[in-house]
Amino acid sequence: MKIHILGSGCQNCMKLAKNAEEAAKAKGTECEVIKITDIKEIMSYGVMQTPAIVIDGKVKSVGRVLSVEEIKKLL
Amino acid sequence: MLEEKDLCCNGSAKTLILACAGGSNTGQISNKAMIELEKRGMGNAYCLAGVGADLSGFVESARAANTILIDGCPIGCGKKSFEKHGITPTRYIVVTELGIEKNHNFDNLEAETEEAIRKML
Repeated sequence: MKIHILGSGCQNCMKLAKNAEEAAKAKGTECEVIKITDIKEIMSYGVMQTPAIVIDGKVKSVGRVLSVEEIKKLL
Repeated sequence: MLEEKDLCCNGSAKTLILACAGGSNTGQISNKAMIELEKRGMGNAYCLAGVGADLSGFVESARAANTILIDGCPIGCGKKSFEKHGITPTRYIVVTELGIEKNHNFDNLEAETEEAIRKML
């Protein structure tokens, strides 16, 4: 499983990435968390706000720092 | 083009403006009105087709934002695209309800758009 975190690399983006890593670990899901900070690449997903989380190519949330529990439900 | 500051996580919801942009005078008025509303600082023009096509980035961005949705006529393609994903627009406008008759005459778009915007504001 691949999780992409879209955002400039600010505190919120970092927190979302950390939560995603924790959620995957808690569920025992093997996954790679990749941070995308390039604005052109972020825009290619069509999102208008960050941070955003993309799981296996599908945008799941925009503009919010999801909690570990919320991310676990998406995995 | 959007800049990083426009996208960054500032915690406040953006306002997105989406228009049906259909193939009639009122559809095209909705599109022109969307652009005019962005120019007046009321939000960012955004792609309704992306929501209609179920593209997740567009759907989730619309869900996360305050939205002004402009349909040209009561068929409501934009509204139906939103409903499909359980999204309710913050403000919903139908151009024909502003007193503009739907037709396929594109000769008066400028004047009709001005009239529509005057009634929207």
